[in-house]
Amino acid sequence: MIIVNDLTKRYNKLLANDHISLTVNSGELTVLLGPNGAGKSTLIKSICGLLRFKGSVTINGFDNHTADAKRILGYVPEMPALYPMLTVAEHLEFIAKAYRLEHWQEYADQLLTRFDLKDKVNKLGKELSKGMQQKVSVCCAVLPRPKVLIFDEPLVGLDPHGIREIKALIASLKQEGCALIVSTHMIDSVEEDWDTTCIMKSGKIAALCHRSSLGSGKTLEDTYFSIVEQEDQEVPK
Amino acid sequence: MTSLIYLIRKSIKNNLKELLHKPGKLILYLLLVAMIGGLAFFSNNVQPLPENLAPMFIFRGILFAFITLFVALTIMKSLSSGDVIFGMNDVNFLFVSPISSRKILLYGMMRMTRNSFYASFFILFQSSSLANFGIDFGGIILILAGFMLAMIVMSILSLIIYNLTNSSPKRKRAVKIIAILVYVPLVIYLAVSFFQTNDPIEALYQAIHSPFSSFIPIAGWVTVGVISLLSGEVVTGLLFLGLTLLVGIGLLIFLLLSKTDYYEDALVSTESDFEKRRAIAEGNINSIQSQTTKKKVKIAGTGIGGTGVTALFHKHVREVFRQNRFGFLSFASVMISGGGILAIYLIKDVTAVLQILMWVQIMLIGTGRGLQETYIHYIYLIPESSFQKIIWSNMELIIRVLMETVITFVVGGLLIGAPIFIVLASIIVYTMFSLMLIGINYLFMRYTGADISVGLLITFYYLAVIIIIAPGLVAAIIAGTMIGGMVGTVVGLLILGAWELVAGLICFALSRGVLDYCDMPVMKKA
Repeated sequence: MIIVNDLTKRYNKLLANDHISLTVNSGELTVLLGPNGAGKSTLIKSICGLLRFKGSVTINGFDNHTADAKRILGYVPEMPALYPMLTVAEHLEFIAKAYRLEHWQEYADQLLTRFDLKDKVNKLGKELSKGMQQKVSVCCAVLPRPKVLIFDEPLVGLDPHGIREIKALIASLKQEGCALIVSTHMIDSVEEDWDTTCIMKSGKIAALCHRSSLGSGKTLEDTYFSIVEQEDQEVPK
Repeated sequence: MTSLIYLIRKSIKNNLKELLHKPGKLILYLLLVAMIGGLAFFSNNVQPLPENLAPMFIFRGILFAFITLFVALTIMKSLSSGDVIFGMNDVNFLFVSPISSRKILLYGMMRMTRNSFYASFFILFQSSSLANFGIDFGGIILILAGFMLAMIVMSILSLIIYNLTNSSPKRKRAVKIIAILVYVPLVIYLAVSFFQTNDPIEALYQAIHSPFSSFIPIAGWVTVGVISLLSGEVVTGLLFLGLTLLVGIGLLIFLLLSKTDYYEDALVSTESDFEKRRAIAEGNINSIQSQTTKKKVKIAGTGIGGTGVTALFHKHVREVFRQNRFGFLSFASVMISGGGILAIYLIKDVTAVLQILMWVQIMLIGTGRGLQETYIHYIYLIPESSFQKIIWSNMELIIRVLMETVITFVVGGLLIGAPIFIVLASIIVYTMFSLMLIGINYLFMRYTGADISVGLLITFYYLAVIIIIAPGLVAAIIAGTMIGGMVGTVVGLLILGAWELVAGLICFALSRGVLDYCDMPVMKKA
């Protein structure tokens, strides 16, 4: 469970996140939507403890800066950042060793098979395409079996197989009780599984929609455009 | 042409306007101008006595070696992607516009001149070192102009080489062979001189003054041109610099007449440069490390050792042994140690070289894997204490520094028969200085945000290093002077080393919890 309480992040004069409060329960998928520069990536990085901010973030009750919180948190960044001199297999081994995981090899093998990486295990990070790097990045984030997973634009640069597998992975993690945040511009990619949608604009939450409160026949895309492009229109309840 | 003039005029105007909106940047520029003014004043008014001047042939050799290094780098670049003359904005807007490609190339040359000036800017800050050779500020400006000329000519040559060798491995090989052959007579002459005189310094002197170095294109011509003008030999100086300029103009005319369709060639280098810059701006460390790593890497052993936080160190061991031929020692380490040993041998003074290496270390400390690790999210998310993560992620750097310093000072010291205690004290000072620099880096990370400009950060960083080391340095100088002799030098060095250790530990203590409470840095452009 993720609880964001009154989070404010400022870059010099720019107010990137303005008093944001948000709760994501276990087994729930929250989608972050918003135009470029709305503050989605800043919010995600703050939740992951990669930025300083005002306010508080707890992960299953632990402050997000603590080792207890980090042990159950997974993060897939927008730009996959691999180590150029490590092979794909060594990336997973490094994560397993650093997180002190036990009996991880079988799960690692499953992930590599799932993302078509079995024949790339001995390839170096620098030899992989951006899409391949993204797949390895996802495998590294999922390997410690986190209870909270945060994806920042996970589908960018992926091939159709990769997109399908990540969508399936997100659905299965949700089933297993993971609290998930996914930031994306591809609204239709999360249409099936979303529970809550947080639409951000100018560093604020412009609207928080729950699937149950969405009007019949209305899609997530309709809701998004009704809020982002027609500011004065009432948010569906 | 009107549109190109408009573009240049508007760019200058908007840059000036930006300065008014960013007072920090303005202050930085004013500080730079003031520093250059101050240096100009001192270098014109404070000159060492003639009997204390260093031999000019050493400077001639340094200048020649320096330009040769740039020539080598440019040729290597031109054989892969060509030099970057245009920006991506020029490619997107100008290349598709109905402006003549020749005019666009001239515009590119103007951009190149500006970039060469920026790249040569560091020369202006060398006044204290150059004063040892009796070179005043006018001389420094002359060196700057000569260096810029060499860089501009090399850029044009780079584009032509790329143009002619692109997709032809045979031609690429031919360029490499020609580039090496040009230097072969000089190397043979140096070897013959050494065997004849049995004195390496005399052999170097003879080689540097021989026609085999003077007539080497670009590097030799510019060196002789600049040195001749500095020595008052105006005709020779103008002849050699004029020759370089003529060759540059000739190459430009060749480029304009032979193939005005240079767009494809320029596009490759511009796009690859743009991609690198974008990746760096987005914090993709892959892009930076890929530039410094071998293209073909043999994967012999695999696997990562350690558990928990120690996995960081074991990962670094795997990476360095895969990346470097000499394990912990990188190419830069070999250059530092080799250069350091040579400098000790030539100057015959271990402590003087220690000072130079400490200055170099301020810039090189950021190349350690521990500090580079902070640009990727993994180190922040590993569920271990921030302090332990810092210690284990910098272990590789500490081992590397120790190896570099031991090799440099022990070998250098043995060559000149330096006292063992001076060598040991120098090793301690250099190692502790590196430790202090790591501490200062984390201190900066802890208390500055991701929004600070790189220019300001570097300025503050240099100031911080000077301020933090100052008390130890003053104490060391006072103690050393009071005691005097070799014992005084050793005591002074040990006091400095002890202070660096204390200052470093204080920096680490003040930056406690840095990986939990900081903005993950991004590799920004200046």
